[in-house]
Amino acid sequence: MNKDTVAFAIILSLIDFILSIVMISGIGLILTWLPLLNRLGKLDDETIRGGH
Amino acid sequence: MLDMMLKFFVALGAQTGLAGIWWGNVVMIAIGIGMILLAVIKKYEPLLLVGIGFSCIISNVPGSDLILPGGLFNYAYRGVELLILPPLIFFGVGAMTDFGPMMANPKLVVLGAAAHLGIFVSLIGAKLLGFSIWESGAIGIIGGADGPMAIFMAVKLAPKLLPQISVAAYSYMALMPLIQPPVMKLLTTKEERMIRMKQMRTVSRVERIAFPIVIGIIVNLLLPPVAPLITMLMLGNLFKEVLVTDRLAKTAANEVMNVVIVILTIAIGSTMQASRFLTPSTIEVVILGLIAFLFGTGSGVIGAQIMNMFLRDKINPLLGSAGIASVPIAARVAHNVALQDDPDNFLIYHAMGPNLAGVFGTALSGGIMLALLQ
Repeated sequence: MNKDTVAFAIILSLIDFILSIVMISGIGLILTWLPLLNRLGKLDDETIRGGH
Repeated sequence: MLDMMLKFFVALGAQTGLAGIWWGNVVMIAIGIGMILLAVIKKYEPLLLVGIGFSCIISNVPGSDLILPGGLFNYAYRGVELLILPPLIFFGVGAMTDFGPMMANPKLVVLGAAAHLGIFVSLIGAKLLGFSIWESGAIGIIGGADGPMAIFMAVKLAPKLLPQISVAAYSYMALMPLIQPPVMKLLTTKEERMIRMKQMRTVSRVERIAFPIVIGIIVNLLLPPVAPLITMLMLGNLFKEVLVTDRLAKTAANEVMNVVIVILTIAIGSTMQASRFLTPSTIEVVILGLIAFLFGTGSGVIGAQIMNMFLRDKINPLLGSAGIASVPIAARVAHNVALQDDPDNFLIYHAMGPNLAGVFGTALSGGIMLALLQ
C-alpha cells in the first residue's frame, strides 16, 4: 500500500482524530472512576510528610 | 617580500570563517539577534529564545567548530536526535504540574482531543503542498502546541525539518495570546463567554498518587511509540504527589529542567544553519503551523459548544481553546478572554483541565500517527 498519497493523508487524519477522541474519552472514563479508590482509605498529607 | 606577505595573509584568511560567509549567514545571524531582542524587550519565552537565538548566531558564523562532530553544540543536538532531551523535559513538567483540575472534571478531558483538528488540517495541507506523508505528519503535530512532542515527532518522522518545526512550534506557543483570542471571539457570543463554571471538587491524595501510575500503565500498554514522553511526565508527577520525594520533585522541576532547557535550546539553535533553514519549505512550515493553531483553537471551542448541546450544566466554550495544550499559556488565554466580558469570571483553574488533557491529546495523536506511519 502506497502511504505517500493525499488519500492516505485524509484517511490517516480521520482515523487518528476519531481514535484520539475515543482514547481520551477512555482516559476521562477512568478518571471518573478514580474517586472509587477513596473507599480504600484516606492518606493525610501531614502524616505522610511527618513519617519521612 | 611583499608578495610573500600577501600570500601569507591570503592563506591566513582562508583558514578563518571569513572565506565561507554568504548572505544567508548574515540573515540567520540577524534572526538570532531578533530572537534575543524579542526575549529581552517583549519578554516572549526568554528561557527558550535567548539560548536558541545565541546558538543560531554562533552556528551561522562560518568556521565554528561547535556544530561539527565532536563540537559541544553537536553533542547537544545528539541529545535531541537520540530522543533523550524531550522525555527529560516532560519529566520536569510532570514534577511541576498539578493534574488536579483534570481529575476533578473528567468530562472536560475530551476537549484535549477536540482541539487538535488543526493537526490534521495542516497534515493534509502539507501533503497537498508536496511534502511526504512522514514530513506532513511531523508538520501537523505543530498544531498540538507541545514543543517536546513536536521535536519528538520531527526526529522520528522528518529529521530534516527539525529546525523549522521546532522554531515554528515554540514561536507560535509564545504568540498564542495574539493568535487565539480573535478565533475565540469570532466563534462565541458574549453570553457564552460569560458562562460561569461550578466550583470543582477536591481531589484526594490517594487519587493524585494513583493517577500517574494508572496513566503510565495505560500509555505503555496502548501507545508504546510515545510512551517515553508520557511515562517521564508521570514519573515527575509521581515524585511531586507522593510527598515523600520532595527533594527529587524539586530537582526535576528546577535543576534538571534548567539544564535540559539550556541543552535543548542550544541544540535547536544549532540546527538553524542558513543552508538548512533558508529554504521555501521553511515558509510553508511556518504557514501550516499557523493554520494548525487557528483550526485547533476553533475546533476546541466548537467541541465545547457541541458538548453544551448534551450537558445540563453548560460549560464556558472558551475552555475548548485551552485543549490545544501549551500548558499553561492556552489556559491563561481562555481566562483572560473571559475576564474581558466579566471581570469576576475566573476560568484559569477550570481551563487547566482541558489544557492538561491537551498534552495527552497531542501524545495520543502522535502515537497513533507513528503507529500508522512506521
